[in-house]
Amino acid sequence: MKYIKSIFPLALAIIWTYALHNSWGTLPPLGKLMSPFHGFWVNAEAPESSELSEENLQIPGLEKTVTVVYDEMGVPHVFAKNDHDLYVAQGYLTAKDRLWQMEFQTHFAGGRISEIVGEKGMVSDQFQRRMGAVYGAEKSFEGMKEDPKATETLLAYSDGVNAYIESLTERDYPLEYKLLNYAPEKWTPIKSALFLKNMSFVLASGTDDLKMTNILRKYGKAVAEDLFPNYPFVESPIIPVGTPRDFKPVPIPESPKDFIGLGSAMKTPEKDPNIGSNNWAVSGNKTVSGLPILANDPHLTLSLPSIWYQMQLVAPGVNVYGSTMPGTPNVIVGFNKNVAWGVTNVGSDILDWYQVKFKDASKAEYWHDGKWKKTTMRIEKFNIKGKESFVDTIFFTHHGPVVYLSHEKPFKSNIPVGHALRWIAHEKSQELTTFYKLNRAANYADYAQALTYYSAPAQNFIFASNQGDIALWVNGKFPLKSYTQGKYLLDGTDPKADWTGFIPQSHNPHAKNPVRGFLSSANQSSVDPSYPYYMGWQYAPSERGRRINERLEAMSKITMDSLRGLQNDNFNIRARTLLPLLMAKLKSPAGGVYAQAANELKRWNLQNATNSQGATIFENWVSLLHDAIWSDEFAADEKAPMNSPSMDRTIKMMQEEPNAVWWDNVKTKNKKENMEEIISASFKASVDTLVKKHGPIGSEWAWYKHKQTGVRHLIPGMDALSRLNIPTGGGGTIVNATTTKTGPSWRMIVELSKEGKPRAHGVYPGGQSGNPGSAHYDDLIDTWAKGELRSLLYLDKPEDATGRLRKKIILSIKK
Amino acid sequence: MNQSLSFSYQLAIVLVMVVIGAIAGIYLPWYALGILFGLLAYILCIPTGRAFILGLVSGFLLWAISAYWMDGQHPSSLPGRMANLFPLGGSVIGLYVVTGVLGGLTGGLWAWAGAKLRFK
Repeated sequence: MKYIKSIFPLALAIIWTYALHNSWGTLPPLGKLMSPFHGFWVNAEAPESSELSEENLQIPGLEKTVTVVYDEMGVPHVFAKNDHDLYVAQGYLTAKDRLWQMEFQTHFAGGRISEIVGEKGMVSDQFQRRMGAVYGAEKSFEGMKEDPKATETLLAYSDGVNAYIESLTERDYPLEYKLLNYAPEKWTPIKSALFLKNMSFVLASGTDDLKMTNILRKYGKAVAEDLFPNYPFVESPIIPVGTPRDFKPVPIPESPKDFIGLGSAMKTPEKDPNIGSNNWAVSGNKTVSGLPILANDPHLTLSLPSIWYQMQLVAPGVNVYGSTMPGTPNVIVGFNKNVAWGVTNVGSDILDWYQVKFKDASKAEYWHDGKWKKTTMRIEKFNIKGKESFVDTIFFTHHGPVVYLSHEKPFKSNIPVGHALRWIAHEKSQELTTFYKLNRAANYADYAQALTYYSAPAQNFIFASNQGDIALWVNGKFPLKSYTQGKYLLDGTDPKADWTGFIPQSHNPHAKNPVRGFLSSANQSSVDPSYPYYMGWQYAPSERGRRINERLEAMSKITMDSLRGLQNDNFNIRARTLLPLLMAKLKSPAGGVYAQAANELKRWNLQNATNSQGATIFENWVSLLHDAIWSDEFAADEKAPMNSPSMDRTIKMMQEEPNAVWWDNVKTKNKKENMEEIISASFKASVDTLVKKHGPIGSEWAWYKHKQTGVRHLIPGMDALSRLNIPTGGGGTIVNATTTKTGPSWRMIVELSKEGKPRAHGVYPGGQSGNPGSAHYDDLIDTWAKGELRSLLYLDKPEDATGRLRKKIILSIKK
Repeated sequence: MNQSLSFSYQLAIVLVMVVIGAIAGIYLPWYALGILFGLLAYILCIPTGRAFILGLVSGFLLWAISAYWMDGQHPSSLPGRMANLFPLGGSVIGLYVVTGVLGGLTGGLWAWAGAKLRFK
């Protein structure tokens, strides 16, 4: 007894220590985390002084000394003596600021989140791997290895990241490792491939085929094609109409037989209508300087740490500045002495589903082209934190992975049914080569050549050079399809439904130095219907593109600042058409708040400005109106999800089909609603919801308060590390495309110069450091929210007379 | 076992613990604080009646003061963010206290355990 009594405090101390050393559910390991010698306290960084400080670091793997200078934004300007050292340094310095993010994003991409957060990550992990994320990354890594330069780059980058990881002890780990209680693992080149592949998930994994098939089955082809037309009624395509064609089209494959696939519920990612981008280039005859100016703002989910990391990379043969993506070498969007380039996403259809007919439950064979063919299997192992690992088998047809094995009632009870995924992201590819070459491009020919290596996700590559050229290639690998092939689910047994080839790269839509003096893209239709190939039926709504083209057409004597104004343009071009239509039909209920709201709309200057109340009323109304028109017919059945028609189609109906059957709310029995009733009722409902949410009409109805833009930490729910309720205007169909969770993730404007001294401005909603304990964690957000830009420091040598440099690091060889 | 300790002797023990705890903090994992306090209690024959409170006071002072000092050396928004995360309503002083209490309880429990092993 006495013995037990004397041991008791020791047992208690051990249990206490064990408890504080480990994480419990979402509770972090408190001992490790709170220790002032080991925990988060160590991650705090004092703001740097304005004096230039110097530091020497030794890292293994370098061939020569590398000099790095940081400016006041925390942007590293890297001066190396060869390519190898340049990319070692890029890896090292990126990891120094963004290690956790790089690893977390590639864990996510590779379906390994459950290793960190346990079982709750499994749904996402399994989905990633079933969609072929790892398979695709392996294929693309194969492609990268075919280019020795890309291989060298990748390996050097990887060595740099690892040099940084190896320099860390546990107490130096970024904060998030301490919160989630794990340690960084060794970086490998395949992780860079995973990161790049993940961009296809972000930008090119949305799919409507199933929803469209459900519509086809319920309403028939005539209705489906009427309500979901293959080209918008109002459009301003990216490639100007009338651009001469410099190629002879190849023959189009024969159409497959009409096929009404198995409509059902299936978990596939929605197309996020707010992920898009703007870019444009204006030629010298429209600018004050007489040389082209290029602008780009890619819209992505706004996150902390930011998806972008600015760098200047200098070595013999290259001096490039721009935004990099932590996890991959090179600059992705940027400029050098002679050229500038930027990207926006292409909404072409590069993802199709094939209904697979398996021979039997073993799924070893499937029916195609009149024969039983063998499936291949891929084993994916999931190591789940705190649980036994889980092994999953993915079946592949020649199309691709069967993402979903039907657990539900199959179409015919004797045939197991699933869908195989054919997706461009599974192709072998060489995107790295493209960026390596773009970083070094000196003219249009270099740019055009660099693009020939690029597959996915397809981008509108805008370009300008100091020789005076502007150009835009809608670029990527596009399957050669028959008209509307893949709008609906396809028959996996019919070889005519297969992808039989690709549009030759040189036939990709492109334009150079158009008469109108500018080129632009905002994710709208790439081309007008006269283009000889079918690329897809549904692009982003045309509003941003139309507004940009209308402004650029009207603008002259353009400067960087006037283009900054265009990037922040809040004009609601949709409201210009739609609001008069609505107001003409509105029978507003009598009563104070409804009349006030209607008056507010009449007074509204059609700007989605930060404090606008009109914008709040309009946007909320339109969204409820769209629901009121379509959700009774198109959102009725959870088991058969459907698309609802676009606003473009809806406006057309308002203008020309006031008696269409769709106006009636089919859920109300014995009553047939007409257009006026639906419009008026949705107005009333909209005002009611706003009153309920924000109180009486007034400053609480300000657009930004309603919209609630936030830049959120990558760990969901981590509000303490996020910036919420940011005062900014804009909206999904506005050039300033800032929504609740998405928006311009990097704004850049570059004016080229004959002397090779480009002037550039840029900003992104975040900061250079991924460390929430650094002043550079979110120091650019306020500038961004105000619509301002920072001047970007483009150096020739690691010195600067303007006093903007704060820190100098000499990276030398560690023997 | 019930011998009374002079105030200055107790103060000296606290000082020794704080210094050893700080050195351990710099070179060893966080829990070394506890183990070393236990060893000290054992070696210095600290009576079981005083061991817990002396460990607690030492651990509290060491962690709270170190946290305060670290924050002063590297002023940043991080402690404020952490004080929202926990949630302490953003109170950084609250965060010093929580840090101190965790260090204190770790030190106290181990010191008590060490003393108890000595004076079976």
